Amino acid sequence: MAESVASDAATQQRPIRPGLFVEAGETRARPRLLGSRCRKTGQLFWPAERMNPVTHESGTMEPAEIEGGGHIVSYTVVQRGLPGYPSPYAIAAIQLDAGPSLIAQLEDWQGAALRTGMAVRLVIGTIRTERDGTRVTGPKFQPVVDT
Amino acid sequence: MSEVYVIGAGMTRFGPQPEAGVHDLAFDAAWAALEEAGVEPGKIDIAFAGHAYQGPCFGQKVLMRGGLTGMPILNVENACASGASAVLGIVQAIRSGAAEIGIAIGAEKLSTPAGGFLPTVADDLDSSMGRVMPAAFAMQARLHMDRYGTTREQMAMVAVKNRRNALRNPRCHMQKEVTIEEVLAAPMIAEPLTRLSCCPVSDGAAAVVVASARVARKYNPRPVRIAASVLVSGLRTPHGIVDDKSEMSIRASRKAYEAAGLGPDDVDVCEMHDPFTIAEIIHYEDLGFCAPGEGGRFVEDGRSAIGGAVAVSPSGGLLAKGHPLGATGVAQIAELYWQLRGVAGGYQVPGARVGLAHTVGGGVSKLESGACGVHILVA
Repeated sequence: MAESVASDAATQQRPIRPGLFVEAGETRARPRLLGSRCRKTGQLFWPAERMNPVTHESGTMEPAEIEGGGHIVSYTVVQRGLPGYPSPYAIAAIQLDAGPSLIAQLEDWQGAALRTGMAVRLVIGTIRTERDGTRVTGPKFQPVVDT
Repeated sequence: MSEVYVIGAGMTRFGPQPEAGVHDLAFDAAWAALEEAGVEPGKIDIAFAGHAYQGPCFGQKVLMRGGLTGMPILNVENACASGASAVLGIVQAIRSGAAEIGIAIGAEKLSTPAGGFLPTVADDLDSSMGRVMPAAFAMQARLHMDRYGTTREQMAMVAVKNRRNALRNPRCHMQKEVTIEEVLAAPMIAEPLTRLSCCPVSDGAAAVVVASARVARKYNPRPVRIAASVLVSGLRTPHGIVDDKSEMSIRASRKAYEAAGLGPDDVDVCEMHDPFTIAEIIHYEDLGFCAPGEGGRFVEDGRSAIGGAVAVSPSGGLLAKGHPLGATGVAQIAELYWQLRGVAGGYQVPGARVGLAHTVGGGVSKLESGACGVHILVA
């Protein structure tokens, strides 16, 4: 019994947090981040905010899908990370073209000659793997090499 | 509003002490501070205890060992700035007239008797995405290198200096001199930061006894005045901690200089938040010891060494003395108290009259950091 649970877990995955992103599908060619938009100022936030922390106004937030194109502001390659994380992995501060910024791991980065200013796009990938084999998924960014 | 003085300090050795209980470590530091100040336990009006991971009612569990019970005891958590926050609490209590004498304690124990270290809790999104602290500071280093041409060798010089200072401080975790080549060749943690560019994980405790102007000289003929005690929290910034400057450090230090009526050129000795080599270079600039972009040159020219323009982290700092999170901010005040009394021994900064303690704590997504404390002490 315990064995079958473990082998199920090896194929299981869960998002790092609920409500952070949507995968590509029939209506979306690319995955997108799920955040919020202020109806008054138009500013986008990721993750979604309960109220506008810039204007201090409540009741103006609505859910928003955020396009995943952007560029690298800074980056590093972590050679010795925490248990469960890939080793090595690249992580970067990303400025999205749509406005919000975030810190996320890179995908397909080896051999990409990382540099600040490099164009990247959102993919959904494995951030870490739990001890029972469950893959924890979330936003990652892939260098755009053809531009 | 009363002037506030440090009248006694105590500190344990920093470094792994797996067999020692954290309450005993903290009590040893507290009792040493009380004994140095010559203050009877019954005279303590208020206590603040700073720690990050040591559980509820920490200060009570520490002080009851010496029969210090009954007075208000406040436990404060602000990650690596917990100790600085505890000192601020005492200073404000005395300034307000609510207390004449108080004690600030800071302590942390992360090593376990079974070996290894306790895991710390990550409820922060950036942390769970893989933004470990070395990665955050590595991204700062990348920005500073790209913008200003700061070199890996200049960053390594910070570790070399602080390790050299530590050789003369018996409380230090790290007691071995290193060369630039050794720092650069050490195992890579997060590029460009090697293991010798990062502070170790340490256990330890520190305490300071603080008193009003009315009573300070009854206990201590040469008390050290706290001329400024400032704590700020971080702003929401586009890239959080990933920046080539620390806005909080700039803001807190300017407030502190204004409160003390002093400027960066007046500072003789600084105990700085240097968990990674790049942090010290950036903070030279933030605290006004040099212009933005000049931090690499500042260490290269020896201006932050003992005998330079401002001796930075003569105790060894976080990089070499160690960084028991909650203890660090209180330990910095203790170090400055000894420096400004001229009793720091082998790592004494000759003629030091003005000291500045600077600490930053807490990785919070979307904020630069949780808290930044700056204290200025005057002999």
